[in-house]
Amino acid sequence: MTSDEELLQSALHHDEAAFTALYRRRQGAVYRFALHMSGDAAVSEDVTQEVFMALLESGGRFDPARGPLLSFLYGIARNLLRRRMEKKRPEGADLLAQDLAADDDVLDDLTRRETIEAVRGAVLSLPEAYREVVVLCDLENASYEDAAAALQCPVGTVRSRLSRGRAMLTQKLAVKAVRSIS
Amino acid sequence: MNEEQLKEDQVLQALRALAENDGEREAPPEVEARLLGAFRARRRSGRSWAVIAAAAAALVIAALWWTNRAPQQAVSAVHPVSVVPEAAPPAPAAATITNVARAPRKLARKIAAARQPESREVVTDFFPLMNPAPSFGRGQLLRVQLPAAAMQTVGLPVREEHLGDLVQADVLVGEEGMPRAIRFVRFDVK
Repeated sequence: MTSDEELLQSALHHDEAAFTALYRRRQGAVYRFALHMSGDAAVSEDVTQEVFMALLESGGRFDPARGPLLSFLYGIARNLLRRRMEKKRPEGADLLAQDLAADDDVLDDLTRRETIEAVRGAVLSLPEAYREVVVLCDLENASYEDAAAALQCPVGTVRSRLSRGRAMLTQKLAVKAVRSIS
Repeated sequence: MNEEQLKEDQVLQALRALAENDGEREAPPEVEARLLGAFRARRRSGRSWAVIAAAAAALVIAALWWTNRAPQQAVSAVHPVSVVPEAAPPAPAAATITNVARAPRKLARKIAAARQPESREVVTDFFPLMNPAPSFGRGQLLRVQLPAAAMQTVGLPVREEHLGDLVQADVLVGEEGMPRAIRFVRFDVK
């Protein structure tokens, strides 16, 4: 199978088939990352499109020595999401989201569907630094190294943020409701 | 297993459930269509720039070619009937040609300087090759390579050990094909 890096090189040389193949291979991961970070399908759609446009424009800056192409794409998506969130977010929104999730005691008798939505809400309520590692490592199965490459931080930071993020999720979710899934 | 670990395992299970649930979610097909549209537009734009760049390069090459031709044309356009007196003594014929060729020589120097910024072209005066010189109508200036011994034939000093070295020279050839005068070229490194 042609590697992401080879497809990118061909796409940058105006090979439409290569660009299409690369997009189809990686758009899902980028879209889901944006979705779990923003909780907004329309934003995720726009971000996915902008990520691949940015790839066409500045894909030459991709350095395989710094990590895989998918990490590079996550990095672009992260920057785009940050810009959008800075514009959109009213002051104290993070605190409000945390409070809402913490008050979700109605989790006791939830169905699987409702529980999934509760977990989604709890993830969205995490502070950004913890949310991105949980999304990358626990939802998208990225390795610590790849997550570190995407977030441009040391692997140790990824580990510690992930541990803290999971602990925060544990606090947010009622254990009874989590049990109902298993 | 302590209670904390049990809770974290349950949270991980919940996260796995969310990941499984969303595993198939992806951007709608409109995104791909929009991206491919943008990709094709970029490719067309890239081609346009390539055409513009190629046209510009062709223009520069044509301009250089024209400039390179200019000295030859200047010489060939000379009608020295009024410039070169028929009764001129043998030596002044070369001097007159030198005067006529002064403007092209400046141009030739400029071109040489542009081509080789690290070296400067220095030329001698023209030396007549026919004595007495017949009247000069039209001609061409040709850049040739000759053994340095040719310099001796016009009275220029050349060291014995350099007689076999190749040197560059400009030969002024009359329209009948006979060489009329010669000058030698040296490249001084700046």
